[in-house]
Amino acid sequence: MIKARKSGDQITVWLSGEIDHCAAGTLRAEIESLLSRPEIRRLNLDFTDVSFMDSSGVGMIIGRYKTMASRGGHVSASGLHPPVDRLFRLAGLHRIIDINPSERQENA
Amino acid sequence: MNNQMELTFFALAENEAFARMVISAFLVQANPTVSVLSEVRTAVSEAVTNAVVHAYERDGGKVVMRATLGKERVDIEVEDFGRGIADIQQAMQPFFTTQPDQERTGMGFALMQSFMDEVKVVSSPGCGTSVRMSKRLGDEAE
Repeated sequence: MIKARKSGDQITVWLSGEIDHCAAGTLRAEIESLLSRPEIRRLNLDFTDVSFMDSSGVGMIIGRYKTMASRGGHVSASGLHPPVDRLFRLAGLHRIIDINPSERQENA
Repeated sequence: MNNQMELTFFALAENEAFARMVISAFLVQANPTVSVLSEVRTAVSEAVTNAVVHAYERDGGKVVMRATLGKERVDIEVEDFGRGIADIQQAMQPFFTTQPDQERTGMGFALMQSFMDEVKVVSSPGCGTSVRMSKRLGDEAE
C-alpha cells in the first residue's frame, strides 16, 4: 500500500488511495515497522496520491508524530490536496508538522 | 421532485468506503461542486465510522444510510441499532473519545458540524443512534 525510501536518518513514505478507519490500522503497522530503526529521526509523509482522508487518518498521523517526538524526531508532510490540507488545519496538524511541496517519487 | 435512497449494510470497516461511494453517486445527479461533494463524503465517512467503531460489540450489526435529495439541499441519516450514546453532548465535544488508545481523535462530530449545515444526533442507550445531517447544495464558491 505504501512506498518508502530511506536516506540517512530520514524516511519518506508515499501514501496513496483513501485513508479512512479501514485503512488506518494497516498504515499504522506498516509505518511503525519502518520506524523501528532507531536511527530514523525524520519522517516525511507524502499525500500527493491520497484521494480521501478523514479523522481516522488524522489519528494515524498524530500517532506517528508521537512516535517520532518520543525519540526527539520530526514529522513533515507534503503534497496536500485542498481537502486534506483543510483537514490538517481543522485538526491543528499544521502546528506540529512541517508542510512541504510534493516529494518526487523516482527511485522509491 | 425529491429523490430518495436507502442502503443497509453490515457495520464493517470495509463498508466505510462503500457508503462514501454510494452517497457520492447519489449526489452527482444534483451536480454539486467538488467542494460540496468532498464535504458530504467526509461527513458520511465520519458518521459511518462512528457506527462501525462504537455501535456493536460483535460483527453482524446493521447500519442504514438514507438520503433525500432536493433541488437545493440533501438530507442524510446514518442510523445504527447498537448500544447508543448515553451523553450526546459529551460525545459531540471536539476531541472527546472513548478510545484514545486506538488513535481515535474525537473529531468525528466536529468535522460533521464543520462540513454540513445541520447535524442532529438522536440516541438512547441500548436502542441505537441516528445522525441526521443536511447541507445546502450549489451557490458555494469553489
